[in-house]
Amino acid sequence: MSSLRVTGLRVRHRKTLALDSLDLALGTGVHGLLGPNGAGKTSLIRVLATVARPDAGRVELLGEDTAAHRGLAGVRRRLGYLPQDFGYYPGFTVREFVAYVAWLKEMPAADVPAAVERAVARVGLADRIDAKVRTLSGGMVRRVGIAQAIVNDPAVLLLDEPTAGLDPEQRVEFRGLLRELGATATVVVSTHLVEDVAAACTEVTLLDAGRIAYRGTPQALSLLGETSGGPGDHPIERGYTAALRAHRAPGAREAV
Amino acid sequence: MTQRNAHLWHASEDLVARYAAGVLPEPDAWSLEKHVEGCAGCASRVSAAVRGTAAGAVLAQVRAAVLESAPAPVARTAPAPVVAGAPEAAGAAGWPAPSRIARLLWAAGPAVRGAWLPAVLGVAVAALALAYGAGFPGARALLLAVAPVVPVAGVALSYGPHADPLYEVTAATPGGGLRLALTRTVAVLAVSLPLLTLTGLLLPASGAPAAAAWLLPGLALALASLALASFVGCRAAAGVTGGGWLCAVLAPAAVAPDGAATARLAEQLARCLDGAAAQGVWASAAVLSAALLTARRPAYDRPLRP
Repeated sequence: MSSLRVTGLRVRHRKTLALDSLDLALGTGVHGLLGPNGAGKTSLIRVLATVARPDAGRVELLGEDTAAHRGLAGVRRRLGYLPQDFGYYPGFTVREFVAYVAWLKEMPAADVPAAVERAVARVGLADRIDAKVRTLSGGMVRRVGIAQAIVNDPAVLLLDEPTAGLDPEQRVEFRGLLRELGATATVVVSTHLVEDVAAACTEVTLLDAGRIAYRGTPQALSLLGETSGGPGDHPIERGYTAALRAHRAPGAREAV
Repeated sequence: MTQRNAHLWHASEDLVARYAAGVLPEPDAWSLEKHVEGCAGCASRVSAAVRGTAAGAVLAQVRAAVLESAPAPVARTAPAPVVAGAPEAAGAAGWPAPSRIARLLWAAGPAVRGAWLPAVLGVAVAALALAYGAGFPGARALLLAVAPVVPVAGVALSYGPHADPLYEVTAATPGGGLRLALTRTVAVLAVSLPLLTLTGLLLPASGAPAAAAWLLPGLALALASLALASFVGCRAAAGVTGGGWLCAVLAPAAVAPDGAATARLAEQLARCLDGAAAQGVWASAAVLSAALLTARRPAYDRPLRP
């Protein structure tokens, strides 16, 4: 059963085609979204988050068509979204920020305080919960962003570059959290760091120029790197470049 | 170790009573104090016993003084036995009430926190200064001409990608659409309607309509801005409704000969605001705008135009 199904998706971004007739079905697990800058990763995540409206095609989340007004609120209550860039109100503490998003997600008021503390503890900020967000470092603000995304225990969690600004130790901890979340939810993580994908993802989708260049497990992508010998320092990096080159080779479009 | 020992024994009634009376030997008192750090049951029995002694009244006074002076988060982290006797300080789920109010105020919108609020106060003070400082007779007419634009500007500064740093997160939530836009409009109206109406009452009438005459137009224009925003975005909508109003009331005054400008403005305002017919038109405009907004509700599901 796929909790997330996309058919014939087309999205324009500033007059260029960001996504072109994309078909994708994702179920429970952690799905890595890889690809060069401008490949359409953020456009895809924004459409899946029901923020951007697709120019053509159908996006189904948890069995509901997101183009319809009816049912959208129900889907959004079970959605978590970390944008690539997000602002915050400078006067808010971490607790108030996450509680405010919980209020926007229409969580029952009685559940909010406990859910907020749990989400903040899961991203390792329990000791800073009453600190003002503006006093935190970039990596900590990123983790506050992750906390607001998971506060409602979402069934579909969309994270755009969640590891940007995290130090290596925090990234290792975050991968553990991802694996935990992926056991029950459909998690989509866009990233530039192929190590994150190798360590935490159950499946990889490689985007290039608005189309899917490769889909498979991280192991299969590593294996592709071993056999085809693309440039890179890590087997999965070699797999990444090999898959991109295979996709860009003339005549390859029809095969995919 | 303390954690483990905490539940191996519990304080007897006799022990608690002697502790409260202050006759327990010191090592036993220390032991009990250590125990209640980890055992909520004994802690509440000890605190009940202590409240029953002469020290109880002093404790209650101290507690009231601390709660009064301390900011919300401090009240929340106060020791459990003391807070237990005061459910009014905490919400049903232990959430401090002041923090919830703070959160609602923040949710109420960037306009009410930002530059808009000083601007509203500025309008009120400027009108009073004109009337009483400079002796300008047309102050109320001028205030009535400007007032309906104030909530419209507040709406434009409250909602949408240009106004709200959290907009991208908000746009993916069920409550981030029309519900949030209306919450913020209500906040803007709750500040501007009473403030500007009271200011108007303090000004000499000198031929201008009544101070409350702008309330319906203010509401109608705010609702019209929200409805229009579903087509063209908040800023453009506010420009059309606010700009349209200002053109309608100020144009005759602008073309009037020098001395007659304020009289012309008062005349034009009387045409727009005075009488049951004019107010009826504004009331129906408000109802129509509300109906259009209801019909356009799905447009608020996605980000509006910037």
